[in-house]
Amino acid sequence: MSEQVAVEVDSVTKRFGDIKALDGVTLRVRRGEIYGLLGPNGAGKTTLIRSIVGLIAPNSGTVTVLGRKLPNLDVLREVGYMTQQAALYPGLSVEENLRFFAAINGVEGGVKDALEFVDLYARRGSVVSTLSGGMRQRCSLACALVHRPHLLLLDEPTVGVDPQLRVQFWEQFRRMAADGTTIIVSSHVMDEAERCQRLGLIQYGRLLAEGSPSEVRAQAGTQNLEEAFLKLAGEKVA
Amino acid sequence: MSGRRIAAITRRLLEGFRRDRRTLALLFVAPLVILGLLGYMLRNSAVPSVGVVNEDQGPLGSVVASALESSSKISATTISASDGDAKLKDGSIAAYIVLASDFSARAQGGVIAPQVHVEGSQPNAAAEALQALQSALASAASNRPGAVKVQPEITYLYGGPNLDTLDYFGAAAIGLIVFFLVFVVTIVSFLNERSQGTLERLMASPLRRGEIVVGYMIGFTVLALIQSVEVLLFALYVLNVHNEGNVLLIFGIEALMAITAVNLGIFLSMFARTEFQAVQFIPLVIVPQFLLSGILFPVSSEPTWLQYVSNVLPLTHAVNALRDVMVKGADLTWPSLQLDVGVVAAFVVLFVAAGTATLRRRVA
Repeated sequence: MSEQVAVEVDSVTKRFGDIKALDGVTLRVRRGEIYGLLGPNGAGKTTLIRSIVGLIAPNSGTVTVLGRKLPNLDVLREVGYMTQQAALYPGLSVEENLRFFAAINGVEGGVKDALEFVDLYARRGSVVSTLSGGMRQRCSLACALVHRPHLLLLDEPTVGVDPQLRVQFWEQFRRMAADGTTIIVSSHVMDEAERCQRLGLIQYGRLLAEGSPSEVRAQAGTQNLEEAFLKLAGEKVA
Repeated sequence: MSGRRIAAITRRLLEGFRRDRRTLALLFVAPLVILGLLGYMLRNSAVPSVGVVNEDQGPLGSVVASALESSSKISATTISASDGDAKLKDGSIAAYIVLASDFSARAQGGVIAPQVHVEGSQPNAAAEALQALQSALASAASNRPGAVKVQPEITYLYGGPNLDTLDYFGAAAIGLIVFFLVFVVTIVSFLNERSQGTLERLMASPLRRGEIVVGYMIGFTVLALIQSVEVLLFALYVLNVHNEGNVLLIFGIEALMAITAVNLGIFLSMFARTEFQAVQFIPLVIVPQFLLSGILFPVSSEPTWLQYVSNVLPLTHAVNALRDVMVKGADLTWPSLQLDVGVVAAFVVLFVAAGTATLRRRVA
C-alpha cells in the first residue's frame, strides 16, 4: 500500500439484520485530502465512517487506516472522530472536556491550540451545558482534533450550524488539510461537496461515483452536483 | 375541556405502553413477585428452634422437657449439653434450655431455675424464644402443687438484653443504603455516557473496554467510600448502633459492597436505553434482593427453594457479614465471615467481567 493512501476500504459489506447498510464499498482516500462522503439520509455514510474508526466490524471486506489493518486500537491514537451530535460531557467545562479527550488519546497539552483553532479559548472555563448549540459543535470539533490526529472523520459536522459558522468550519478544515491532515467529511449538503477535493457518492450502501467535483459533474454530464447526484443515483437504481 | 383532546392523550399513552414490554412487566409482573415473596416469608416464618438438655436427676425435668416439646410456640428438640453452643453458633437453634441435675430438688424449694442460653443476635427471635419458654415453663409449673417461682437464668451468646431492633437492622441498613444509592448513581451516569454520545467517542479512541469499566469503578468507588465513612460514623456515633467488631473490617465490607453495586450498575446499564428504564431496575433488581437478603426476615425462615435464591445474592452475604461483625464481633478468622466476604468479592470479579463483555456489543 502506498504511503500516499490514508484510508483504504476494500469491498466492505455490513448488514444490520436484513438491511445492507454497506454493500461492497471500495474506496481510497489520499493523505492530506478532504474527501467528501455525499448521500441522502440512510445511505450508509455514518456506517462507513463508524467502520473506519473501528466501531463497527464489517461482515466482509477490510478497512486499512494509515497503513494498519483494522481492528487496531493503536492506530486510533492518530484518528479524530466527530460524531453527528456534539458528544461532550455537559457537566464539565470546555477546557476539562478537551483535557479529557487529550488524555484518553495519550496526549498532554494541545488544549490551548485546539481551543484557539475553533475560537473558543475565551470560553474555556464555561460549563458545556451553558453553551449555545454552535459553540458546542465547535467544542466537539476541538475535542476531535486536540490530539492532532493524522486522520479526521467528521460525520455531518455542519448540521444545525449557521451559515457563518459553517464557512468558519470549512476554512479550518482547509487549513488542517494544508498541514497534512486527511479529512473525511460526510454531508448531504451539495454546496459543501464543492469544497471537497474528492467526493464519493453513496446511496443504498453502494458507492455510485467517485472523483473531484468537476469529474463527478462531467461523468453525469450536468452543470451542478445536485443534478449530477440525482442523475447518477437514478441510473444505478434503474 | 375537550373530551376528544383528553382521549387523544389517553390513547397515545396506552399505545406507547403497548410496545414497551419492560414497563408492562414492571406494572404487572413486579407486584406479583414482590407480594409473593412477602407472603411466602411472612406465612412461613417458622417458630423458633429450641434445644432441650435434660440432666435433671428428679422427675420434674422430663415433665418440663415434654411440656416444651409439645408446645406449639417453639420447636423443641432434645440435645446434649456439649452441642448447645455449637448449635447456637451455626444458627440451627435460637436458644437452648438446660435443666440442671438439681432442677427437681430446687423446684421442691419453690424455685424453677432453668438455665437458658440465647443466641441473641436477633432481638426478635431471642424475645420470641424466651417468651415461648416462659409460657411452657409456666404451664409445667402450674401442674405442681404449691407456690413455685419461675426464675430462668439467661445467658446471651451474642449481644444481650440491651441489644435492640436498631442494633440488628442498623448493621444491615448501613450496607443496604450504600449498596442501593451507589447502584442508582452508577447506572444513571453510565447511561448518560451512552445517551450523550460520549461512549461512542470513547470506543473510537485507543481506550480499552476494561479501562473504561475499571476507570468508572475507581471513580465511583472513591465517592462510595466517602459515603461509607459518613454512613458508618453516623450509625456508630450518632445512632449508637451496637458494634462488637473492628470498625476497619466493617468499612472493608462496606467498600466491597459499594464496588459490587458500581459494577452491577455498569453491567445493568447495558440493558437500559433510557434513564426511565434504568430506574425500572430498582423494583426488579433491588426490591426482591432486599426482601430475600435476610434484612427483614432471616434467610433460615424462608421456604427451602427461596433459601437457594437468597444464598446466591451478593446482598445476602454482605448483610450477613456486617451482622456477624457488628453484632457477634466476628473477625476474619471466622469461616462464616471468610465465606461471606469471599462470595461478595467473587461477585465483584463477575460483574467487572460481565460489564466489560457487554460493553462492545451494545455500542456497535
